[in-house]
Amino acid sequence: MRSFFRILLSILILGPGFAATAADIKLEAKLVWGTSDDKGDANYKPIDAALAGKLHGMFKWKSYYEITNRTATIPLNTIASLKMSDQCTLRVKYLGASRVEVDCIGQGKQVTKGTSTLEPAKWLVLGGNCTNNTAWFIGLRAIDSKDAAPQKAISKN
Amino acid sequence: MKHHLELKIQAWTDGELSHRQARRVAQWIGREAQAAELAAELAGVKKALAANEPARTVPESRDFYWSKIERQIQRQAQNRPAPSPWYARWQGLLVPLTGVTALVCALAVIHQPRRPTFDEISATDDTMEAVTFNDQTAGMSVVWLQDKNPPVATEQTPPAAGGSTVEEGDPDAEVD
Repeated sequence: MRSFFRILLSILILGPGFAATAADIKLEAKLVWGTSDDKGDANYKPIDAALAGKLHGMFKWKSYYEITNRTATIPLNTIASLKMSDQCTLRVKYLGASRVEVDCIGQGKQVTKGTSTLEPAKWLVLGGNCTNNTAWFIGLRAIDSKDAAPQKAISKN
Repeated sequence: MKHHLELKIQAWTDGELSHRQARRVAQWIGREAQAAELAAELAGVKKALAANEPARTVPESRDFYWSKIERQIQRQAQNRPAPSPWYARWQGLLVPLTGVTALVCALAVIHQPRRPTFDEISATDDTMEAVTFNDQTAGMSVVWLQDKNPPVATEQTPPAAGGSTVEEGDPDAEVD
Protein backbone atom coordinates (compact mmCIF):
# COMPACT_ATOMS: atom_id res chain seq x y z
CA MET A 1 0.00 0.00 0.00
CA ARG A 2 2.86 2.38 0.81
CA SER A 3 4.55 1.69 -2.50
CA PHE A 4 1.23 2.35 -4.25
CA PHE A 5 1.00 5.78 -2.64
CA ARG A 6 4.59 6.55 -3.50
CA ILE A 7 3.97 5.72 -7.14
CA LEU A 8 0.79 7.81 -7.14
CA LEU A 9 2.56 10.75 -5.57
CA SER A 10 5.34 10.53 -8.13
CA ILE A 11 2.84 10.58 -10.97
CA LEU A 12 1.05 13.61 -9.54
CA ILE A 13 4.29 15.53 -9.12
CA LEU A 14 6.04 14.58 -12.33
CA GLY A 15 3.04 14.27 -14.63
CA PRO A 16 2.51 17.98 -15.26
CA GLY A 17 6.23 18.34 -15.85
CA PHE A 18 6.18 15.70 -18.54
CA ALA A 19 3.14 17.27 -20.17
CA ALA A 20 4.67 20.72 -20.24
CA THR A 21 8.01 19.64 -21.62
CA ALA A 22 7.70 19.41 -25.42
CA ALA A 23 11.22 19.07 -26.74
CA ASP A 24 10.71 20.31 -30.28
CA ILE A 25 8.15 22.09 -32.35
CA LYS A 26 7.84 21.52 -36.06
CA LEU A 27 6.79 24.52 -38.08
CA GLU A 28 5.78 25.33 -41.60
CA ALA A 29 6.06 28.84 -43.01
CA LYS A 30 4.72 29.99 -46.35
CA LEU A 31 5.18 33.24 -48.19
CA VAL A 32 2.01 33.87 -50.17
CA TRP A 33 1.13 36.48 -52.73
CA GLY A 34 -2.45 37.57 -53.13
CA THR A 35 -3.63 39.14 -56.34
CA SER A 36 -6.81 39.80 -58.24
CA ASP A 37 -5.09 39.82 -61.61
CA ASP A 38 -6.56 37.08 -63.79
CA LYS A 39 -3.26 36.48 -65.53
CA GLY A 40 -1.49 35.52 -62.34
CA ASP A 41 2.08 34.38 -62.54
CA ALA A 42 3.10 31.10 -64.17
CA ASN A 43 6.26 30.91 -62.11
CA TYR A 44 4.36 30.26 -58.91
CA LYS A 45 1.88 27.62 -57.95
CA PRO A 46 -1.41 28.29 -56.21
CA ILE A 47 -1.50 27.54 -52.51
CA ASP A 48 -3.28 24.47 -51.22
CA ALA A 49 -7.04 24.53 -51.16
CA ALA A 50 -7.34 24.55 -47.38
CA LEU A 51 -5.30 27.68 -46.86
CA ALA A 52 -6.78 29.26 -49.97
CA GLY A 53 -10.25 28.76 -48.55
CA LYS A 54 -9.30 30.47 -45.31
CA LEU A 55 -7.75 33.42 -47.12
CA HIS A 56 -10.66 33.70 -49.52
CA GLY A 57 -13.00 33.82 -46.60
CA MET A 58 -11.17 36.72 -45.04
CA PHE A 59 -9.56 38.75 -47.83
CA LYS A 60 -10.66 40.21 -51.10
CA TRP A 61 -8.04 38.87 -53.49
CA LYS A 62 -9.00 36.33 -56.11
CA SER A 63 -5.85 34.22 -56.28
CA TYR A 64 -3.17 33.26 -53.80
CA TYR A 65 0.20 31.93 -54.89
CA GLU A 66 2.84 30.17 -52.87
CA ILE A 67 6.16 31.92 -53.25
CA THR A 68 8.20 30.14 -50.61
CA ASN A 69 7.62 27.20 -48.32
CA ARG A 70 9.86 26.50 -45.38
CA THR A 71 9.71 23.89 -42.66
CA ALA A 72 11.85 23.62 -39.56
CA THR A 73 12.14 21.71 -36.33
CA ILE A 74 12.95 24.07 -33.49
CA PRO A 75 14.16 22.84 -30.11
CA LEU A 76 13.03 24.51 -26.93
CA ASN A 77 14.42 28.03 -26.32
CA THR A 78 16.06 28.04 -29.72
CA ILE A 79 15.61 30.53 -32.55
CA ALA A 80 15.14 29.44 -36.12
CA SER A 81 15.65 31.85 -38.99
CA LEU A 82 13.44 31.09 -41.95
CA LYS A 83 14.38 32.98 -45.07
CA MET A 84 11.15 33.67 -46.88
CA SER A 85 12.64 35.89 -49.53
CA ASP A 86 15.73 37.95 -50.20
CA GLN A 87 14.10 40.78 -48.30
CA CYS A 88 12.22 38.91 -45.62
CA THR A 89 13.29 36.61 -42.83
CA LEU A 90 11.16 35.13 -40.13
CA ARG A 91 12.82 34.51 -36.79
CA VAL A 92 10.94 32.08 -34.62
CA LYS A 93 11.86 31.17 -31.07
CA TYR A 94 10.20 28.20 -29.44
CA LEU A 95 9.14 29.02 -25.89
CA GLY A 96 7.57 25.68 -25.06
CA ALA A 97 3.97 24.47 -24.80
CA SER A 98 3.31 25.42 -28.44
CA ARG A 99 4.19 29.06 -27.79
CA VAL A 100 6.53 30.86 -30.13
CA GLU A 101 8.03 34.30 -30.37
CA VAL A 102 7.84 35.58 -33.92
CA ASP A 103 9.89 38.37 -35.38
CA CYS A 104 9.50 39.43 -38.99
CA ILE A 105 12.60 41.06 -40.42
CA GLY A 106 12.20 43.02 -43.60
CA GLN A 107 15.11 44.58 -45.43
CA GLY A 108 17.29 44.17 -42.42
CA LYS A 109 15.01 45.78 -39.89
CA GLN A 110 12.37 44.38 -37.61
CA VAL A 111 8.83 44.77 -38.86
CA THR A 112 6.82 42.87 -36.26
CA LYS A 113 7.45 41.33 -32.88
CA GLY A 114 5.28 39.28 -30.62
CA THR A 115 4.28 35.87 -29.31
CA SER A 116 1.61 33.43 -30.29
CA THR A 117 0.43 29.92 -29.61
CA LEU A 118 0.67 27.60 -32.59
CA GLU A 119 -1.39 24.48 -32.89
CA PRO A 120 -1.56 22.04 -35.80
CA ALA A 121 -4.03 23.03 -38.50
CA LYS A 122 -4.29 26.58 -37.15
CA TRP A 123 -2.50 29.34 -39.01
CA LEU A 124 -0.83 32.49 -37.78
CA VAL A 125 -0.80 34.85 -40.72
CA LEU A 126 1.15 38.06 -41.06
CA GLY A 127 0.09 40.15 -43.98
CA GLY A 128 0.27 43.50 -45.60
CA ASN A 129 -0.40 45.36 -48.77
CA CYS A 130 1.82 45.17 -51.80
CA THR A 131 2.00 47.48 -54.73
CA ASN A 132 -0.88 47.74 -57.17
CA ASN A 133 -3.53 46.30 -54.95
CA THR A 134 -1.84 42.99 -54.20
CA ALA A 135 -0.88 41.59 -50.83
CA TRP A 136 1.74 39.49 -49.17
CA PHE A 137 1.13 36.94 -46.48
CA ILE A 138 3.38 34.86 -44.30
CA GLY A 139 1.54 31.88 -42.89
CA LEU A 140 2.99 30.04 -39.93
CA ARG A 141 1.68 26.91 -38.30
CA ALA A 142 2.79 23.95 -36.25
CA ILE A 143 2.69 20.62 -38.02
CA ASP A 144 2.49 17.04 -36.82
CA SER A 145 5.76 15.15 -36.72
CA LYS A 146 4.58 12.61 -39.27
CA ASP A 147 3.90 15.35 -41.77
CA ALA A 148 7.11 17.20 -41.16
CA ALA A 149 9.92 17.36 -43.66
CA PRO A 150 12.33 19.15 -41.40
CA GLN A 151 14.68 21.53 -43.05
CA LYS A 152 16.72 22.89 -40.21
CA ALA A 153 17.60 26.55 -40.27
CA ILE A 154 18.55 27.01 -36.70
CA SER A 155 20.68 29.55 -34.97
CA LYS A 156 21.28 29.46 -31.25
CA ASN A 157 19.94 32.27 -29.16
CA MET B 1 -35.88 -61.73 0.08
CA LYS B 2 -35.43 -58.32 -1.34
CA HIS B 3 -33.63 -55.77 0.74
CA HIS B 4 -36.52 -53.29 0.86
CA LEU B 5 -38.79 -55.99 2.27
CA GLU B 6 -36.23 -56.73 4.95
CA LEU B 7 -36.22 -53.04 5.82
CA LYS B 8 -40.05 -53.13 5.98
CA ILE B 9 -39.91 -55.93 8.47
CA GLN B 10 -37.28 -54.13 10.53
CA ALA B 11 -39.38 -50.99 10.59
CA TRP B 12 -42.42 -53.01 11.67
CA THR B 13 -40.38 -54.57 14.45
CA ASP B 14 -39.27 -51.10 15.63
CA GLY B 15 -42.81 -49.69 15.43
CA GLU B 16 -41.91 -47.13 12.84
CA LEU B 17 -44.74 -47.90 10.41
CA SER B 18 -48.14 -46.31 10.27
CA HIS B 19 -51.15 -48.35 11.44
CA ARG B 20 -52.19 -49.24 7.94
CA GLN B 21 -48.73 -50.23 6.83
CA ALA B 22 -48.12 -52.18 10.06
CA ARG B 23 -51.37 -54.12 9.54
CA ARG B 24 -50.46 -55.02 5.98
CA VAL B 25 -46.93 -56.07 6.96
CA ALA B 26 -48.29 -58.14 9.84
CA GLN B 27 -50.68 -59.92 7.46
CA TRP B 28 -47.85 -60.57 5.05
CA ILE B 29 -45.62 -61.93 7.87
CA GLY B 30 -48.46 -64.23 8.89
CA ARG B 31 -48.61 -65.68 5.37
CA GLU B 32 -44.90 -65.72 4.52
CA ALA B 33 -42.69 -68.10 6.54
CA GLN B 34 -39.44 -66.44 5.56
CA ALA B 35 -40.76 -63.05 6.65
CA ALA B 36 -41.97 -64.47 9.96
CA GLU B 37 -38.57 -65.98 10.59
CA LEU B 38 -36.81 -62.66 9.95
CA ALA B 39 -39.28 -60.75 12.10
CA ALA B 40 -38.68 -63.15 14.99
CA GLU B 41 -34.93 -62.85 14.60
CA LEU B 42 -35.06 -59.05 14.61
CA ALA B 43 -37.36 -59.00 17.63
CA GLY B 44 -34.93 -61.23 19.51
CA VAL B 45 -31.99 -58.97 18.71
CA LYS B 46 -33.91 -55.93 19.83
CA LYS B 47 -34.84 -57.56 23.09
CA ALA B 48 -31.29 -58.66 23.73
CA LEU B 49 -29.89 -55.23 23.10
CA ALA B 50 -32.40 -53.54 25.35
CA ALA B 51 -31.78 -55.95 28.19
CA ASN B 52 -28.01 -56.12 28.01
CA GLU B 53 -26.86 -52.56 27.08
CA PRO B 54 -23.94 -51.58 29.33
CA ALA B 55 -24.49 -48.58 31.57
CA ARG B 56 -22.32 -45.54 30.90
CA THR B 57 -21.67 -43.00 33.68
CA VAL B 58 -20.13 -39.53 33.43
CA PRO B 59 -17.18 -38.76 35.67
CA GLU B 60 -18.84 -35.65 37.12
CA SER B 61 -22.18 -35.16 38.69
CA ARG B 62 -25.10 -34.13 36.57
CA ASP B 63 -25.23 -30.51 37.84
CA PHE B 64 -21.51 -30.00 37.57
CA TYR B 65 -21.51 -31.49 34.04
CA TRP B 66 -24.16 -29.09 32.84
CA SER B 67 -22.54 -26.09 34.52
CA LYS B 68 -19.34 -26.91 32.66
CA ILE B 69 -21.25 -26.87 29.41
CA GLU B 70 -22.85 -23.55 30.32
CA ARG B 71 -19.49 -21.97 31.11
CA GLN B 72 -18.06 -23.18 27.78
CA ILE B 73 -20.95 -21.58 25.94
CA GLN B 74 -20.42 -18.29 27.72
CA ARG B 75 -16.69 -18.36 26.97
CA GLN B 76 -17.36 -18.85 23.27
CA ALA B 77 -19.85 -16.01 23.26
CA GLN B 78 -17.24 -13.63 24.76
CA ASN B 79 -14.56 -14.62 22.21
CA ARG B 80 -16.85 -14.05 19.26
CA PRO B 81 -15.74 -10.81 17.44
CA ALA B 82 -18.04 -7.82 17.53
CA PRO B 83 -20.08 -7.41 14.41
CA SER B 84 -18.36 -5.05 11.95
CA PRO B 85 -20.06 -1.75 11.14
CA TRP B 86 -21.95 -1.36 7.89
CA TYR B 87 -19.14 0.63 6.22
CA ALA B 88 -16.40 -1.91 7.04
CA ARG B 89 -16.82 -3.81 3.83
CA TRP B 90 -16.28 -0.59 1.86
CA GLN B 91 -12.98 0.22 3.66
CA GLY B 92 -11.11 -2.31 1.61
CA LEU B 93 -12.20 -0.53 -1.56
CA LEU B 94 -11.90 3.04 -0.29
CA VAL B 95 -8.13 3.43 -0.40
CA PRO B 96 -7.46 2.07 -3.89
CA LEU B 97 -10.58 3.83 -5.17
CA THR B 98 -9.27 7.14 -3.86
CA GLY B 99 -5.94 6.53 -5.53
CA VAL B 100 -7.49 5.67 -8.87
CA THR B 101 -9.75 8.73 -8.69
CA ALA B 102 -6.79 10.97 -7.96
CA LEU B 103 -4.88 9.47 -10.86
CA VAL B 104 -7.77 9.97 -13.26
CA CYS B 105 -8.16 13.59 -12.14
CA ALA B 106 -4.48 14.21 -12.59
CA LEU B 107 -4.52 12.74 -16.09
CA ALA B 108 -7.59 14.78 -16.98
CA VAL B 109 -5.84 17.96 -15.88
CA ILE B 110 -2.68 17.09 -17.73
CA HIS B 111 -4.38 16.16 -20.99
CA GLN B 112 -7.13 18.75 -21.09
CA PRO B 113 -7.40 20.35 -24.49
CA ARG B 114 -5.57 23.59 -24.63
CA ARG B 115 -7.80 26.51 -25.44
CA PRO B 116 -6.39 28.51 -28.33
CA THR B 117 -4.71 31.65 -27.13
CA PHE B 118 -3.85 34.61 -29.17
CA ASP B 119 -0.98 36.73 -28.09
CA GLU B 120 -0.40 40.12 -29.54
CA ILE B 121 2.01 40.67 -32.36
CA SER B 122 2.70 44.31 -32.94
CA ALA B 123 4.41 46.38 -35.54
CA THR B 124 7.78 47.71 -34.55
CA ASP B 125 8.11 50.14 -37.42
CA ASP B 126 6.82 53.63 -36.77
CA THR B 127 5.47 53.86 -40.29
CA MET B 128 3.24 50.86 -39.86
CA GLU B 129 0.47 49.74 -37.56
CA ALA B 130 -0.71 46.23 -36.83
CA VAL B 131 -4.32 45.17 -36.69
CA THR B 132 -4.93 41.73 -35.24
CA PHE B 133 -8.00 39.56 -35.49
CA ASN B 134 -8.67 35.98 -34.68
CA ASP B 135 -11.05 33.74 -36.58
CA GLN B 136 -11.72 30.64 -34.48
CA THR B 137 -13.99 29.16 -37.14
CA ALA B 138 -11.38 29.37 -39.85
CA GLY B 139 -8.64 28.39 -37.43
CA MET B 140 -6.59 31.40 -38.34
CA SER B 141 -5.12 34.38 -36.55
CA VAL B 142 -4.20 37.35 -38.71
CA VAL B 143 -1.87 40.23 -38.03
CA TRP B 144 -2.41 42.80 -40.74
CA LEU B 145 0.28 45.39 -41.19
CA GLN B 146 -0.85 48.52 -42.84
CA ASP B 147 1.28 51.38 -43.91
CA LYS B 148 0.37 54.66 -42.35
CA ASN B 149 1.52 56.33 -45.56
CA PRO B 150 0.55 54.01 -48.41
CA PRO B 151 2.84 54.18 -51.45
CA VAL B 152 1.72 55.09 -54.98
CA ALA B 153 0.51 52.07 -57.03
CA THR B 154 2.97 50.73 -59.65
CA GLU B 155 3.34 47.59 -61.81
CA GLN B 156 2.15 44.51 -60.08
CA THR B 157 4.95 42.20 -58.92
CA PRO B 158 4.87 39.45 -56.35
CA PRO B 159 7.05 39.56 -53.24
CA ALA B 160 9.10 36.73 -54.68
CA ALA B 161 12.42 35.31 -53.54
CA GLY B 162 14.85 37.35 -55.60
CA GLY B 163 12.09 39.85 -56.22
CA SER B 164 10.82 42.57 -53.99
CA THR B 165 8.02 45.02 -53.68
CA VAL B 166 10.54 47.73 -53.03
CA GLU B 167 10.98 50.04 -55.95
CA GLU B 168 14.56 50.95 -56.66
CA GLY B 169 15.40 54.32 -55.31
CA ASP B 170 12.25 54.51 -53.25
CA PRO B 171 13.40 55.04 -49.69
CA ASP B 172 9.88 55.14 -48.25
CA ALA B 173 8.57 51.96 -49.81
CA GLU B 174 7.00 49.41 -47.47
CA VAL B 175 8.99 46.42 -46.33
CA ASP B 176 8.04 42.84 -47.08
